[in-house]
Parts: sequence; C-alpha cells; structure tokens
Amino acid sequence: MTATMAIPTQKTAIETVDLSVSYNGKSALRNVNLAFPENAVTALIGPSGCGKSTLLRALNRMNDRIPGVDIRGKVLLNGKDIYARGVNLTRLRREVGMVFQKPNPFPMSIFENVALGPRLHYGLRGRALREVVEDALRKAALWDEVKDELHKSGLALSGGQQQRLCIARMLAVQPRILLMDEPCSALDPISTQKIEELIIELGKQYTVIVVTHNLQQAARISHYTGFLMYGEVIEWGETRQLFERPRRPETEDYIRGRFG
Amino acid sequence: MIEAARSKVVPVAEWEVLAARQDVRRARKNALLTSIFGAVGLATVLLVFVLVAIIAYKGAPTISWEFLTQPPREGMSAGGVAPMILGSLLLMLGAFLLATPLGVFGGICLAEYGERSRLMRLMHASVAALAGTPPIVYGLFGLAIFVLKFHFGVSLIAGWCTLTLFCVPSIVLTTESALKTVPAALIDGGLALGLSRWQTLWRIALPYALPGILTGIILSLGRAVGEATPVLFTASVYYSTAEMTLGWDTLRQPVANLPYYLAEGYRQPGVVPERLIWGACLTLIILTLLLNAGAILIRSRMRRRYL
Repeated sequence: MTATMAIPTQKTAIETVDLSVSYNGKSALRNVNLAFPENAVTALIGPSGCGKSTLLRALNRMNDRIPGVDIRGKVLLNGKDIYARGVNLTRLRREVGMVFQKPNPFPMSIFENVALGPRLHYGLRGRALREVVEDALRKAALWDEVKDELHKSGLALSGGQQQRLCIARMLAVQPRILLMDEPCSALDPISTQKIEELIIELGKQYTVIVVTHNLQQAARISHYTGFLMYGEVIEWGETRQLFERPRRPETEDYIRGRFG
Repeated sequence: MIEAARSKVVPVAEWEVLAARQDVRRARKNALLTSIFGAVGLATVLLVFVLVAIIAYKGAPTISWEFLTQPPREGMSAGGVAPMILGSLLLMLGAFLLATPLGVFGGICLAEYGERSRLMRLMHASVAALAGTPPIVYGLFGLAIFVLKFHFGVSLIAGWCTLTLFCVPSIVLTTESALKTVPAALIDGGLALGLSRWQTLWRIALPYALPGILTGIILSLGRAVGEATPVLFTASVYYSTAEMTLGWDTLRQPVANLPYYLAEGYRQPGVVPERLIWGACLTLIILTLLLNAGAILIRSRMRRRYL
C-alpha cells in the first residue's frame, strides 16, 4: 500500500484506499490512494485513457454496471466503504451527485427534470417541492433564464443551459459531493465560462471533483489537482503548486504540452 | 499552377480527361439506378393504390348509415353488417386489454434482462418465432385449449384468449426494441440521481419508449382485427340476425365479425349479394386504416411534446 495522498490541513470528504479497476482484465486504475478535501474544487487531469473518468465514476459506483468490470480496494465516505456488502446505492448517490460529459436532460419539462429527485427521495410535493426546484435552479445559475418557461421541455434549452439544468437536477437531491465528468467538453466557450464560474461558486459549499482535459480550466477553477497517467496518480497537490512547480518530470512534460 | 504538383503517372493534361470520363460513367450509372428504384417504388405504390381503389369503387355504393348500423335481414341477403362491426370491435377491445399488459411486461423483461441471461435469450428467440407463426396455428391452438379443454365453447372469451396469444409476441418484440432505443445516457442520468432500476425504467425509459410501444400495440391490433383464422373456430358465428344485447352472457356467446363474414359470405355466392361483401371489405379496410392513422397520430403527438 502506498501512502495516501492528502492535503494535511483539510478535512477529507471522500477517500480511496488502494483502489484498482480493470475492464475484462485490462487494468484501468492501479492502487489509487487519494483523499479529496471537503468544500473545495479538485480537478483530475491527465492524457486520454489515463483512468481519470474511471476514478470519478468509481466514487459513486457508476462503473458497476459495465460488463467485465473488476473493482478492488475501498472508497471511504463518512468512514464507510461504499463497496461494502449491503450498501444502499440510492443513499450513496443521494450524497454523491454526478454530471456527465454530454448534457442528458430527461425528456420532460424543465420543472419535472429538477423535481424528480426531491419528489422520489424526500416525498416532497406542492409548495415545498416548488421551492426546492427554484433553489436548485438558482444555485445552478439558470433560474432567471427559465423561470417563465418551467413547463417547457428540458431538451428545448441550449447545450449550456441543458448542462446547468443537469447540475440543478443533481443539486435538488441535496448531495454533498458533486462529481463532474468533463462537464464543458461538449459546450461552446461562453457556456463553458458560465459553467466554470458556477463550479467556482459551488466549490464554496460543496466538495466538487471535476475531470477535465482542459489544463487551463483546471488551473482556473480548482484548488487541488491530481495528475493521472497509465491508471496511476503521478502527482497530487495544490493546483498552483502543481502547475507552477511540478515535482515530477512527467507532470512537467504534460503541463508544458510536450505530450498528451 | 496546379498542374505543377500533379503526379506524372499520366501526362499532366490527362487528369482532367480521365476525370471527365468518370463523370460521364457516374452520371450514367446514377440515372440507371434512379430509374430502376423509381420504377419499383412506383409499382409498389400503384399496386396498393389500385387494390384499395377497386375495393373502394365496388364497396362505396353499399356503405350507408343503414349498412353500418343495421343487422342483416332476409336470410343475410339484405340489411347491414352492424353485428359484424360490433363483434370485431369487441374482439379487438378484449385483445387490447389482455395483450397489452402481457406484451409490455414481456418486452420489459426481455429488454432489462435479455442480454445477460441465457433463459431470456431463448425466450427472445421463441417469441420471435411465435410472432412469425401463421394465424391459423393460433386458431387451432385456441380451439384445442380454450374452446375444448377449458370448456369455453365457441365464444367471445375464447376469441379474446386466442387473439391475445396472437398479439402478445409482436407487442413483446416492439416493446423490447422501443426500450432498447432509450439512450444509455438517460439511464445513467437516472441511476446517478439515485433512482432505483425500476424507478429509472418507470420514470425515464418507459415514457421515452411509450410512443413506440403504443404504435406497436395498435399495429398488432390492426393486424388481429383483419385476421379470420384465429377466431374462425374459437369465437365466430356467421348467421346473426339477433339484436345484439351486451351483457355478461355475451362473453360465453360467439360473435359475428367482419373477416369471418367475408370469408364465409364469399363461399356462399347465392346467399350474400356481392355488393354486401364489397361493402364489408371496404369497412374492414377503413377500420384498419383508422387504427394505423391513430398510431401515426399518437406517435407524432407524443414526439412533439418533449422530444
């Protein structure tokens, strides 16, 4: 077991212990020991196929359904292993929300998209439900744009608005940890900027973990950054330190654009 | 100059000549294929059109308010086909109510568990084979099981059971394929939100697949309502002059219906005048056309709503 990479001064929100993932015997992630600090934005960067998305999806067990997947090690949330026998996936995902690369609003109204989670998880209805929906849409910086057309289809929105709708949908479930898998890679620059501002804002109240292939984005939005290569964490630290004074030569080569 | 960069494999000026020759060949081939496909397409459309036109031409004069609302009179030689229309609608209604839950549930099972379990793969193959089974086989099966073994007799309820068997396989298959068109990203979105597998299916996948499922149900019923053989030995009566009264008894009695009336009426040319047969024929076609139009309408309405 390698030493857990943690930020000593920070409380840990979620932590991996010797986490390894393979698909059909092909290793995708090897012995990852990371402690993600609470109420901060952590970016995961690295070349394509380095395992950063696999790592992210391991944190709310979204890899489980992939045929041929083998997951070893632990992921500790509130001190408990989320891969332990008998863990309730609904409870886990209520606490650990996720947004995907391509916006995936459900084929229903804007309101219904956001209301579905709180209705099913907390049995909210009527005024309480409407208030939760409004609160989530406000936190996702979408409320002012959609407040008069909540009954319209979520798919009628622009790509950037759809992604913010997906963020609102996630926030309405009241999670503490937000996982984002390249949330801007399908968006235009202006939408990207809005989502980036949103992520910075969310980082004040939530533990946000963002996978990105955009190094400038990682530098702009995150407090901490992990650099992955070949399924291993090469370097981990405060974003500024990692970008300005990388400790490992691989990190330096990557962020100077020599490969990847 | 462009020429300077071109390969010397052929003389520099030749490139344009070669390209022009290919252009001519391509245009010729295009014209040929376009005319072949156009002709075949036109022939298909014409065939259907002529068929419907003949039936409409022969049948239209017969169709009247009286024809649609009155029972046959004078030993089937006059009057209308109201009991046959009513019987066909009744048969269809029962098949709809019974086959829909069975077929949709079966389709859900296959779509959800189909790939992993060997049993489900076997089921899929069996259902596909059943969907291609000739309707007469269902008719004979219904006779053996529902009419004789279960002592239903030749009755509406035996017809319902038989038509249900006939409709279920195709509804299973269309439900399954409609559910498989649900994007994986939507399913992932539901699961990531903490929804259970069944909640994801019920709240996200089913609504998305609903237009496809409904279309499949309606098309299957449209096929069933036009088939004579499943109800031939199980539910049909030919000579029906009685005023139909609907009640619990109706379940245990045979019903007249359009396809059986057509088949049997046509076999007895002296009894039923030809104009009545044509009229019933057109009525049946209009009934199935209405069903198909309904299917198209439902599909476009639902698609427009949120997709």
